[in-house]
Amino acid sequence: METAALEKPQGAFVGLDYHALNAMLNLYDSDGQIQFEADRQAARQYFLEHVNLNTVFFHSLKEKLSYLIRENYYEGEVLEQYDAAFIKRAFQRAYGHKFRFPAFLGAFKFYTSYALKTFDGKRYLERYEDRIVMVALTLARGDEDLALRLIDETIAGRFQPATPTFLNAGKKQRGELISCFLLRLEDNMESIGRGINSALQLSKRGGGVALLLSNLREAGAPIKGVENQSSGVVPVMKLLEDSFSYANQLGARQGAGAVYLNAHHPDILKFLDTKRENADEKIRIKTLSLGVVVPDITFHLAKSNEDMYLFSPHDVERVYGVPFSEIAVSEKYREMVDDVRIRKQKIKAREFFQILAEIQFESGYPYIMFEDTVNKANPVAGRINMSNLCSEILQVNEASSFNDDLSYSHLGADISCNLGSLNIAKAMDGGDLGATVETAIRALTAVSEMSAIGSVPSVRRGNDESHAIGLGQMNLHGFLAREHIHYGSAEAIDFTNIYFCTILYHCLRASNALAREKGLSFNGFSASDYASGEFFTKYVSQDWQPEHERTAALFAKFGIKIPNRAEWQALKDDVMRDGLYNRNLQAVPPTGSISYINNSTSSIHPIVSKVEIRKEGKIGRVYYPAPFMNNENLEYYRDAYEIGPEALIDTYAAATQHVDQGLSLTLFFPDTATTRDINRAQIYAWKQGIKTIYYVRLRQMALEGTEVQGCVACSL
Amino acid sequence: MTQTPVARAVNWNRLQDEKDLEIWNRLTANFWLPEKVPLSNDIPSWATLTAAEQQLTIRVFTGLTLLDTIQNTIGAPALMPDATTPHEEAVLTNIAFMEAVHARSYSSVFSTLCRTAEVDDAFRWSEENEHLQAKSRLVLEEYRAASHPLKKKVASVFLESFLFYSGFYLPMHWSSRAKLTNTADLIRLIIRDEAVHGYYIGYKFQRGFEVLSEAERQEIKDFAFALLFDLYDLETKYTQDLYDPIGLSEDVKQFLHYNANKALMNLGFEGLFPESICQVNPAIMASLSPNADENHDFFSGSGSSYVIGKAVATEDEDWDF
Repeated sequence: METAALEKPQGAFVGLDYHALNAMLNLYDSDGQIQFEADRQAARQYFLEHVNLNTVFFHSLKEKLSYLIRENYYEGEVLEQYDAAFIKRAFQRAYGHKFRFPAFLGAFKFYTSYALKTFDGKRYLERYEDRIVMVALTLARGDEDLALRLIDETIAGRFQPATPTFLNAGKKQRGELISCFLLRLEDNMESIGRGINSALQLSKRGGGVALLLSNLREAGAPIKGVENQSSGVVPVMKLLEDSFSYANQLGARQGAGAVYLNAHHPDILKFLDTKRENADEKIRIKTLSLGVVVPDITFHLAKSNEDMYLFSPHDVERVYGVPFSEIAVSEKYREMVDDVRIRKQKIKAREFFQILAEIQFESGYPYIMFEDTVNKANPVAGRINMSNLCSEILQVNEASSFNDDLSYSHLGADISCNLGSLNIAKAMDGGDLGATVETAIRALTAVSEMSAIGSVPSVRRGNDESHAIGLGQMNLHGFLAREHIHYGSAEAIDFTNIYFCTILYHCLRASNALAREKGLSFNGFSASDYASGEFFTKYVSQDWQPEHERTAALFAKFGIKIPNRAEWQALKDDVMRDGLYNRNLQAVPPTGSISYINNSTSSIHPIVSKVEIRKEGKIGRVYYPAPFMNNENLEYYRDAYEIGPEALIDTYAAATQHVDQGLSLTLFFPDTATTRDINRAQIYAWKQGIKTIYYVRLRQMALEGTEVQGCVACSL
Repeated sequence: MTQTPVARAVNWNRLQDEKDLEIWNRLTANFWLPEKVPLSNDIPSWATLTAAEQQLTIRVFTGLTLLDTIQNTIGAPALMPDATTPHEEAVLTNIAFMEAVHARSYSSVFSTLCRTAEVDDAFRWSEENEHLQAKSRLVLEEYRAASHPLKKKVASVFLESFLFYSGFYLPMHWSSRAKLTNTADLIRLIIRDEAVHGYYIGYKFQRGFEVLSEAERQEIKDFAFALLFDLYDLETKYTQDLYDPIGLSEDVKQFLHYNANKALMNLGFEGLFPESICQVNPAIMASLSPNADENHDFFSGSGSSYVIGKAVATEDEDWDF
């Protein structure tokens, strides 16, 4: 279809292939202008030279679909839910939008990683429109109206399902639709063994897996009363790292895992040292991601420049009768320090934070979860003790226990989450945020209902009882820049606050409607702050309206209505009466791949560069222009390193107060920063009520005199 | 009997040349070891290369290993007696060591991706390839102790800023096609270092050059251009040998011209090759930036951007909450 609009490359672009054309984006032209046209030519050339020549041709839709079902490419069951005339209409609807990829990377990424290919991997069987229709038909489960709404929302770019859903839905040979999994490990060999098996099983099906290590006894702890027997968490990390890379070789998507450890676990420094530049091969962790759970008390200890005590999880469990991760360390800290039955070590609290920053400098890790902030904001019963591979999932879990043969003696509940994100610019353009959110919530709920991870029963139970989903947001910076608002400015933060507040309202409204339709709420609803109405106090006791005229005008311009107190009160009554179907509703993921396909800036982050250099295993090194950017509006595209951590944290803080789970927040520093700068940003983030910190990214500019001349990403 | 000179401790708080500290800081912050790069993630992509492409890649890396070895064991140490400040000596020891790390890291690539027999073949090839040997000889000739200090620096800059790049081309080419991307990360770490090495030695050359008489300057300049011509001649043949079979020679040569100019500029001279024959493929050019600013996804690689940070303790005022 794209060929209709294709023109031959002209002028400077003649004779270059699409990779070269794309790379010209990173080189200024002779007038010092960014060569946006080269990238558009790259996208065109990509279709001409590559996609069109490698796409299997069918005479009709009917021929195509019956071939794909017969040859086991498509799931016949998906299409059987609809009559042939409707299916034809659905495809026509999608193609009728005349979609074009605005940037080369979007097209390249889609065809490289998402489009259905022949089994030998050589030729394409799907175009972008086909993928969207198959995803919609799969998730709508026979509901024609929902299918069409989903097609409209997705092809218009307002809603974008996360990679596992968008990649897999409707395909016969596929992985799971769910994005990520979180598993607890308990302090016994059965739980560790079962955990490794679960990590393998889940990686094989293509999801990110995070595991909680806080409950494992430390190195040197006794086993069966014999001292100095345990080897601690590091060997378990090694096992997990190898498990993930093994599963990675078989699956279509890279196996990836994370491990979380409480800051007050005695192995914490060993845990962090695995990422040191000069770590010994035996303990070096290359691909496993690390996260540290930090309670408030650690900050207070650092403030008063005290020692911080680390507590043996084995002893804590014996004393309190519950695993370490069930204990609020801030609450029990002094008590545990004074308890002779709990063996402990101590380090300087400030030194701990400095080491944390050193490791972040060298490796970008660990992630940080502010444990008490997270639990205070949790509206449902239970404790949150870990996050996931992207640090945006924050849900409660429950321990499992095992028999000797690894069968469950008690089936606990582990966490899974399926994600999808709204493109803020497109969602605002659409003018009906309520409808967009509702369609998205229904699509995500469908993923939850259609998923049953039989290989990990604790995950299956968690999902069945909670129907937890995570609606995210992306393209905040792109939207603000297009509207000539600076990221991090007062208007921008005002917009972020009111936008997220409005999103929350519609999420709750949609989930409440689902509960009414199905006559069912999530397990534990009655014990939640939703049921008591307490959750709504802050929305019915004060107005949530724009403070700046400019922001108010923005909502008015796109016809987006902001819910008032009376509407919040009505929603409160509805929720208290009829419940919520989904225990968790929002989570803002970092959106890598899908934001490129969707032509968005990632998540609610600032851009990393006007022209981003993106490198991934499957696509190599590719250049991506910030959405809506041209040579005239460059001033609104200051990058994350220029904007600095405070404006970024303020933006996230405005959003965080309306998001029940987390938001992946990356901090960006120039290489001239010191560990103290990183520590100050962490303190500021914690103070502002941020729940988690994802990566720390550093940018080192070439030494003056060694840089490549005329390179866009190199110039400040 | 000559008197033993007084042994002097290097005092970094008394600098004769600020540049020494700037470069020292940059080089130490950029310290890395090949173990940090998950090269094994490239195994599937290595398998997609044809036998000829694999052989080319191994040979290119063997050629690079040879150059790094020369620089490590002879080149950087040869510059040390000519150092004008004690800090320059310290920087040169760092350069020498990192060259050893580079040479070591190609072996990491080999042990991860290739079979021993293939690697042994390539090392034999590197000893037998006349062009590779000839260019090594030309450079080694100038590293002799008797050589003029500035001539040694010229040879060193040509090696760092020019000779390496016919080899660097290939991994950059692969990575722009989504092949061997982790290997490319490792090479980019090497490029990051070599860019600084070439720049620094060039800088020191220029300081020495400034104080020469007009006649001496002319002699050194003539020498530099003559050496470049000789190296260029060999480099062209070497390039054709390697890249003709996969049809990339023309493209690599444009790249050679670009880098030859860059090496001359590091020495403070004007470029030799006109713009029209320095049209490097944008995909290579754009990937060459020694900036550490790539936005990689953490799940398939470690990226080439992390550095060792400066640790500064927090103060009471930071904990004011």
